[in-house]
Amino acid sequence: MTHRTGWTIAVLLVGPALTGGAIAAAQDSQFGIRGLGTPGRWESVRSRSTGGAFGPFDPLSPLMEAPLADLGQLTATAAGYTSNRDVVVGGTTTPLRTTRFPLMGVAGPVAPRLVVAVGFTTYLDRSWDVILRDSLMLRGVLERYTDAIASDGSVADVRFAAASRLSRRIAIGAGLHFLAGSTRMTAERRFDDSTFARVQQSAEVRYDGFGLSGSVLIGVAPGLSIAAWARSDNRLRAKVADTTSAVTDLPRMAGGGILFAPSPNARVAASVAWRAWSRAGAGAFDTWNWSAGMEFGPRRMPIRLGARGGQMPFGPGTTAPTEAAGSLGTGRAFAQGRALIDVGLERLERRGGGLTERVWTVLVGLTVRP
Amino acid sequence: MTRRRLALVGAVLLVAACVERLAAPANCPDFCPSGQITIVDTLLTSSIHRDSSYRGYVLAYQSALMLAAHLPGATDTLDGRPIFRINGYGARIPADTSAGAILGADSARLQLYVVRRDSATRNLRLQLYRLPITIDTGTTFGTLVPPFTDSLVRTINIDTLLAQPGRKDTVTGDSVVVDSLNRRLLLSLKLDTAAARYITTDSGTVSYGIRIAADTLASIAFGKDGFGPSLQWYLRLDSLGTTVARKPGALGARLASFVFAPPPAPIDSTLAVGGVPSAHSLLRVAFPKVIRDSSQIIRATLYLVPAVPARGAPPDSFVIEARNVLADFGAKSPIDLLLGDSAMIHPGATDTVKIEVTNLLQQWAADSTRPTLLLLRPEREAQTLGEIRFYPSVATAFRPTLQITFVRRFPFGAP
Repeated sequence: MTHRTGWTIAVLLVGPALTGGAIAAAQDSQFGIRGLGTPGRWESVRSRSTGGAFGPFDPLSPLMEAPLADLGQLTATAAGYTSNRDVVVGGTTTPLRTTRFPLMGVAGPVAPRLVVAVGFTTYLDRSWDVILRDSLMLRGVLERYTDAIASDGSVADVRFAAASRLSRRIAIGAGLHFLAGSTRMTAERRFDDSTFARVQQSAEVRYDGFGLSGSVLIGVAPGLSIAAWARSDNRLRAKVADTTSAVTDLPRMAGGGILFAPSPNARVAASVAWRAWSRAGAGAFDTWNWSAGMEFGPRRMPIRLGARGGQMPFGPGTTAPTEAAGSLGTGRAFAQGRALIDVGLERLERRGGGLTERVWTVLVGLTVRP
Repeated sequence: MTRRRLALVGAVLLVAACVERLAAPANCPDFCPSGQITIVDTLLTSSIHRDSSYRGYVLAYQSALMLAAHLPGATDTLDGRPIFRINGYGARIPADTSAGAILGADSARLQLYVVRRDSATRNLRLQLYRLPITIDTGTTFGTLVPPFTDSLVRTINIDTLLAQPGRKDTVTGDSVVVDSLNRRLLLSLKLDTAAARYITTDSGTVSYGIRIAADTLASIAFGKDGFGPSLQWYLRLDSLGTTVARKPGALGARLASFVFAPPPAPIDSTLAVGGVPSAHSLLRVAFPKVIRDSSQIIRATLYLVPAVPARGAPPDSFVIEARNVLADFGAKSPIDLLLGDSAMIHPGATDTVKIEVTNLLQQWAADSTRPTLLLLRPEREAQTLGEIRFYPSVATAFRPTLQITFVRRFPFGAP
């Protein structure tokens, strides 16, 4: 396969995202209904199988740009997740299920010491559907009704990134982030009394925003690397029928990680991230998230384990909801390493405001190096 | 083979995985969207104006029914009398070359459909009168008082006839067929030579009128056109000096109408609906822009206060309907037949009439070119004697009002 053919395939993979035709979303949560949404995880399946600990060092995870510098050839990747989520509130458990394709990207060297990447990932998932049973006094009569308010869509982060290895020890990268997406929102009310017509309103809400990011990867010693990153997004503007309905400040964020590879068949990593979501307004919190994970075994078919924890940015009350997860996974290389399939399994629990979510997520990733 | 199985399992898993299930019970306000559906209920007391009534849309002879009633009231008696004229063959039966002039009639059989009656009516009696053959669409109740006084032809007790074995009266030759599916009675009345006089100088044309009476609730309706009166003559004809009998084809009524008293009160400032000739009322509504432009109407109710008790025969409740019009041309406004809302009116009642007009106002909101005008008319024009009159907009205390329940625009896009 020629270099040009490879880029053509890559553009075909990523193109729909850039034109807004792609469906991009991540695992959603009831905690995102009240706020801007559920933040996406900027991780490939490989990283996520390690709890996200390998994210700062994984060139295919859109968290940092600097690791792209070590990408020696054109590479395209995509990921898909299926989540089975139990929402427990007030002693009632509701099973929910979603399937998402939250990650797609292509990267490759374009010049000596310069690698560029383009792709999209989910910035905020805004897919939810709530059903409410209530009543109100109308015309002097207590009228019972059922509300169904739904949102289907997400805000995607379209990233253009570049990275360069400055020396054997230092690689740097930077990225431009265009936030774009839309949600189809519907609000419906059905009265038990059929003399009241069904309320049905809908609108397409379009979102846009902009962000910048930068990162550095430093080889401290053989087998030991540290990474640091920072990102700033300006604001998320919501438009309904070309009228701005809301402008919300987006967070500044920063994070770092450490990777230790004592042997070619064993790697351990840990990372931490801080996000200033409280800028988004009432009901939003700054969050800290940590992760730790390992990958061992031959690179053709490694075993991955990880754990992570931290906070969710949106929730009721005065403290941020928390989340904790454990994950495992593996991968398999085919065709002399030109194709990789990664699979993972994650068990996640979120708590806050009297609500608990327990999620099983099956992760599947595909990477092609033409 | 193993690869195929794996591919099949993979495909099944993929399809199963793509099933979304997102709907969850809400736990508000903590886990609900910040925006809520906001409902507003408002009473438009002064939005209806420039209302008016018009009479004369459907006249008695244009009605689909012939109305018969005899209902004594406190001050007068509601008296409806069907009248019809059946033209004869002339001096000869057309196309019958085997015989000559019509000499006269041996007898005739008159068929009448009773298409509406109250099953609670007892001792229902029909009185058949011979009327002048000059009756026409302009004939009034007053001009027929003499023949309805002195030209009685037959009296038939329908209840007695229904009680006969086989519903046939072997003495009079009358019979009745009950169509329980369509709730119709087919009366077949035998008229003897004296009752059915074929007068060749009148071309055999005969006219009859019907009065009814009953112990209670004497109000019925006779059919017209396909279910109208028909007369089967049994004639005597001259055939070269010999008298022969002929039974030509039955003849239908060329004129079928009814006269009634008292006549409807003239149109005044009230909003009249119904009656004969039928009356319509127009209500012009100043439809608030805030409702039209940025909301969804989920219920709209028109309240009308009767100015007088609804007129009409007590057993004949009638339906009035509200409709939109396509353009405001006053009395001749073209009616939009697509959507209509209705209310039942019970004669004698004075209760406030409520008509749910949700779909009509939704149409106004959806199409701003529509005139915001409600037309009130009887659902079946001139098919009952019932009429109701409502207070107009100038009667401040009792004016027509609209109660509208609407939903404000949902705050989509709000965080």
